[in-house]
Amino acid sequence: MVGVAYDCLANPLGAVRSSFEKAIASGSDPASFDGKDWGALDLFRHFLFDQAGLSQVPILNQKTVKWVQPNSLVRFRGMIQDMLGNEFYAGAYKDGTVWRTNKFMDVSQAPIDSSSDMRIWERNLLYCVPVPGQNSWTESSAEAVMHESMNWASQQREKRRRFEDEAVDKMDSIVSSYGSQGPPSAKKMREDGHPSQTTQFQESTTVATCSSRSMEPDIDRDSLACIVKIYDPPESELKLNEVFEFVGVLTLDSDFQVDKDENDDFSNGFSEDALVHFPPNKVPRLHCFIHRKLSVHDLIQSSPMMEPKPHLVKGIRETLLRHLTIVLGNDDLAAHFMLLHLLSRVNSRVDTVAVGKLSLNLTCFNKESVSVFGTQLSLAIENLLPITQCIPLTIDYLNTASLAPRKDYETNRLITGVLQLAEGTHLMIDETQLVSGTLNPVGVENARLLKNLMEFQKVEYDFKYYKMDMPVDIQLLILSEGKSNILPADLVIPFQPSSVGSSETVSAEALEAWRWYLTTLRSLPHSIDSEMQKVIENDLVEARQADRSLGGQDFSRLLTMGRLICMSLGETCLSLEHWQMVKELERLRRERLK
Amino acid sequence: MASDSSPVNFNDGPSSPDDSFSSPIGNTLSSPGDASRRRMRRRSTTPSAFGTPPAAQQSRFATSSEATPTPSRTRRTATDGRRRSSTPSSTPMAAATPSSTDDAPPSSEGGDGFYMDEDRPTFVWGTNISVNDVKAAIVRFLKNFRDQPFTSESEYLTEGKYIETIKRVLEVEGDSLDVDARDVFDYDSDLYAKMVRYPLEVLAIFDIVLMEMVPIISPLFEKHIQTRIYNLKTSTSMRNLNPSDIERMVSLKGMIIRCSSIIPEIREAIFRCLVCGYYSEPVAVEKGRIAEPAVCLKEECQARNSMTLVHNRCRFTDKQIVRLQETPDEIPEGGTPHTVSLLMHDKLVDAGKPGDRVEVTGIYRAMSVRVGPTQRTVKSLFKTYIDCLHMKKTDKSRMLGYDQLEVDNCSGGNSEDTIFDEKKVEELKELSKLPDIYDRLTRSLAPNIWELDDVKRGLLCQLFGGSAIKLLSGASFRGDINILLVGDPGTSKSQLLQYIHKLSPRGIYTSGRGSSAVGLTAYVAKDPETGETVLESGALVLSDRGVCCIDEFDKMSDNARSMLHEVMEQQTVSIAKAGIIASLNARTSVLACANPSGSRYNPRLSVIDNIHLPPTLLSRFDLIYLILDKADEQTDRRLAKHIVSLHFENPESIEQDALELSTLTAYVSYARKHIHPQLSDEAAEELTRGYVELRRRGNFPGSSKKVITATPRQIESLIRLSEALARIRFSEWVEKRDVIEAFRLLEVAMQQSATDHSTGTIDMDLITTGISASERLRRENLLLATRNIIMEKMQLGGPSMRMLELLEELKKQSSGIEFHLNDLRNAVASLASEGFVALQGDSVKRL
Repeated sequence: MVGVAYDCLANPLGAVRSSFEKAIASGSDPASFDGKDWGALDLFRHFLFDQAGLSQVPILNQKTVKWVQPNSLVRFRGMIQDMLGNEFYAGAYKDGTVWRTNKFMDVSQAPIDSSSDMRIWERNLLYCVPVPGQNSWTESSAEAVMHESMNWASQQREKRRRFEDEAVDKMDSIVSSYGSQGPPSAKKMREDGHPSQTTQFQESTTVATCSSRSMEPDIDRDSLACIVKIYDPPESELKLNEVFEFVGVLTLDSDFQVDKDENDDFSNGFSEDALVHFPPNKVPRLHCFIHRKLSVHDLIQSSPMMEPKPHLVKGIRETLLRHLTIVLGNDDLAAHFMLLHLLSRVNSRVDTVAVGKLSLNLTCFNKESVSVFGTQLSLAIENLLPITQCIPLTIDYLNTASLAPRKDYETNRLITGVLQLAEGTHLMIDETQLVSGTLNPVGVENARLLKNLMEFQKVEYDFKYYKMDMPVDIQLLILSEGKSNILPADLVIPFQPSSVGSSETVSAEALEAWRWYLTTLRSLPHSIDSEMQKVIENDLVEARQADRSLGGQDFSRLLTMGRLICMSLGETCLSLEHWQMVKELERLRRERLK
Repeated sequence: MASDSSPVNFNDGPSSPDDSFSSPIGNTLSSPGDASRRRMRRRSTTPSAFGTPPAAQQSRFATSSEATPTPSRTRRTATDGRRRSSTPSSTPMAAATPSSTDDAPPSSEGGDGFYMDEDRPTFVWGTNISVNDVKAAIVRFLKNFRDQPFTSESEYLTEGKYIETIKRVLEVEGDSLDVDARDVFDYDSDLYAKMVRYPLEVLAIFDIVLMEMVPIISPLFEKHIQTRIYNLKTSTSMRNLNPSDIERMVSLKGMIIRCSSIIPEIREAIFRCLVCGYYSEPVAVEKGRIAEPAVCLKEECQARNSMTLVHNRCRFTDKQIVRLQETPDEIPEGGTPHTVSLLMHDKLVDAGKPGDRVEVTGIYRAMSVRVGPTQRTVKSLFKTYIDCLHMKKTDKSRMLGYDQLEVDNCSGGNSEDTIFDEKKVEELKELSKLPDIYDRLTRSLAPNIWELDDVKRGLLCQLFGGSAIKLLSGASFRGDINILLVGDPGTSKSQLLQYIHKLSPRGIYTSGRGSSAVGLTAYVAKDPETGETVLESGALVLSDRGVCCIDEFDKMSDNARSMLHEVMEQQTVSIAKAGIIASLNARTSVLACANPSGSRYNPRLSVIDNIHLPPTLLSRFDLIYLILDKADEQTDRRLAKHIVSLHFENPESIEQDALELSTLTAYVSYARKHIHPQLSDEAAEELTRGYVELRRRGNFPGSSKKVITATPRQIESLIRLSEALARIRFSEWVEKRDVIEAFRLLEVAMQQSATDHSTGTIDMDLITTGISASERLRRENLLLATRNIIMEKMQLGGPSMRMLELLEELKKQSSGIEFHLNDLRNAVASLASEGFVALQGDSVKRL
């Protein structure tokens, strides 16, 4: 078929339709397509992966939404913030004598006569938002591709204008409405570091708290949320808070607005349709063909996929350690722990224990040092990890912020909270601003939430009639004056800078290598041979005989450290040498604690 | 419609509903059957005066004009129904008793109808299910179904279950007949299958059958009885509802999250002519709307556009839309709960409140969305909802901890919900037969915490609980077992608590540090919306019939602790404030843990001195365990091994025979609900014997020293423990071995906490008063010695003596015994209270 590529990109629905007709023509009964694909997805899979069409598909975000054509193929990267349940639609229907399909469309092409034959199919609705805390540098590599496709798209647009004046006019009016608001480029927002980011967050949370009345909850001005309609998904493949890339048809039709005036039986009870709260001109719909789960690793887009070779890894480790040491004012020990902390992730869960987490509490900060090192540190981490967040902990913040997501039954939506974060997010909590004061019930609840997050790596979602624990995987770093009691971290280490770190200039290549290092090594497999196991066991028993205050938690921490040290060297098997390093680090840390 | 394997046929011609309705109405108007009219009229939900079941069915299920029932199918049933109701004698039953059908047409006609049906059997539209067959099957079911598999004798002696039920309904003038779907299945699985598959049609036939049967049983009864099906064999999860379920009968469990206000839905409208005052005949709802007559029907008037609705003569029914959400346990990891809308009518309105957990039986429906209110074309989207037939609150099953008391209160065992399916029960019973079930359960309890086996056994007993007894005289004995864990920091007390909290059917976890008295019991709050004062329950009330876990019990304020006295023995919380005087049930087991007041437990001090708890409270705990951290290499090694395996996924060390948490929970709740053991004679004897023995241990032969080793409270504890132990075995009788084990458990706990360290014997006084008998003896001796010294050394009104001098004297006199200044001070103080000496600062003066 000539111009399949063209078809798939600009007119994906045409491709869907033609494949459907083909399938029907070959004698298939539309009933057999219940919950199944008739071959349309293969077409797209072929186009996207075999023909490498994926890179041509424009990424949908706040910037591109202005020029991306409706009913064209786009991709969207986002976190599943809420699941809006499923939707039944007339999947296939008979128009006269011809079977037609409505799959991947919001409205049917031909008006469906209620007398005609039809098949009801279902699709799932997901409300997706850009990953909270995703750093702007993760987008830059995708931008090059985007520009390319933008040129292409604008050409198309020129062509189209002649044919589809009307549609484009509609689009333009939407664009201009955005234009008047003038969203500042996301990059600019990021550049002034975490403060702006957090204020932005506070803003969004205050929006969220009063949103039970407002019709458009948390539709941020500079982040584009999207309703993704997933077809025939395998059971439980998509989970809340996971980051996905969706490829599908973008629809921006305004047909839904009719809904609001419609006074059917259900709307006088209460609003049945969560979609009412998302005007389609603000929240585009994406009918998804293909989705792909993204891990932190997929977000960094380093060009050459390097093999984690030990000598290479060790080199990167050295430079990264040096970088961290400089950032931390020549505190070598803190830098070591910081490296381990940045590599940590939850490997497994046994009962309530999240194995593998390593939260770090840097103590001995005061107001001055936090302004110097804290900022420096958060900038450095922001540059190293793809998803970072920062919370300045104050009494006021605790008393007012809504940390946990909660379900609003009025709108039937899950209202996001600060702690609704994607897997692998780094969260820095600055406790130095905390002064004595009174916590109100919200504050107590929030403090409890944070503590649970630290201890169990779980966030409690508030469903009003019950709470539900959501397992998370978040790296937690706490800056505090003394040992934080609100946030009991796994590792407490007094921070002792010896020099005010001069901000060094970091080369782009080094940065890229470090990013690659931190995200790739995190997922290395890990093992231990039985001999080494014996050694460790004996060491632990010995340590406990000497110091009764050591408990399971301390053991667990030591083992996590062992694993991370081993990982940081690019190795997969814990050796005696690594174990010695752990013990040495622990000894130094204990010395400092005295 | 070649492709009619489809679950739903949407061949819904826009004009077809009109057919199905206009004709019945026409029929009614011309119908002379007065009785039938009256009867139909009474039936509140009937949309038209015409009372054929299809119309009734419409009223029960139709909600809006665009609902997607398959009217073409309905139409056929409608005509069938009409024919049948006009010729009721066509059914064998009615034919057998023609006298009772007061509105029956002449029998000859009935005969015709009968034969006509024979010639052209009618089918449920689009299927090969014969309406008459179904009807006959229903009649057979209703007449013949019996609970017990009947013998030939009983068949004649007892009436069918549902005939009885119908009679009962008639007696109380009810309007619905609850039919257990399992009964239908047991009697006629084919009928069951049809009912689930084509609920609209089969239920309509059910209604017809009932309508025909009722006059036979009670000719004067004029209401219509609706069939409500419940207890389907299979319950669908909300998540799995899919298009193939549309138009089928489904059963769902969930939690109500929202209820709409009650919507009055018009069923019949009456219009009045503004010109001549003529009242129209009732106009029924048609496709969700009512056609206003354009012309006055009175022949003389015939004014145009003069008709106006007379509100207070119209008939309305209640309608409510309820949102149901999945219960938390059905949500897969990483998912958000699904919701579904329910449509409630009549009696079901307001049957549930937000927060209730319910099981709903209904018909899954899809409704197409019109593009505009006036347009015929529909969008490709459907809204789905469940037309609710029956709703059952499963709220009680959440508490699980049924006690004898509650079961007795329940009227009739039938209504009790069965939350355990048979397979599961079988499994559990199999488990209970294992000889090592007790040990196995112990192992499964918090498998990550080692040793502490006896503590775990105690906790297990707490979970199962004893039976509460309420005597006729009003005295009641609690069945809940309270446990206190005292121990060194870092001995996983809190983890145990967390685990129990997770396991117990109902319960609250609180920390003593943050709990106030009101937070634990109940408090009065102002409702922000209405300004009314409302009673909000605290942790203890909320964990009624569960376990209330209180961490850091020692950190709790005295005020809060004093509230616990009432709860732990009387099991109620009394409130008298802000105009509310109430006594709330708090039948909760308390599991508390406390740290010693010095960070480590001091074995030389008594429990009370160690944790600074008032003895009155302490004595209310059935079991007090000391969890001490002993420097044992073996334990350390196990800990180390465990942690290592945790990190490196070593499958070896994972306990094999531990039960899964869900099984354990099911086991516990089944036992709590269904097993109510009683003391066997043997066990009672053993109890008596053991208690006497325990008491005797306090008597040392040849010594006047009396130590209380057991109090009546212990007997109660022992009974509770042995009952719990019997429950663990799913045994209805408490046997001797249970009692022996209960003694052992109690002794283990007492040995730790109530052992007098100076003598090594168990001394209940340690718990009840905080002072052991030997200590008391020592104090008495000291008092005596002090008195003697003062008598010797000091004269009446003579010079005063310093305390230290006194101590020196004392030590001189009674060599070998250590005296502390403090003890002496106490002794002098008590002498002073006798008026024997005067104490001024540090100097003692004899009076």
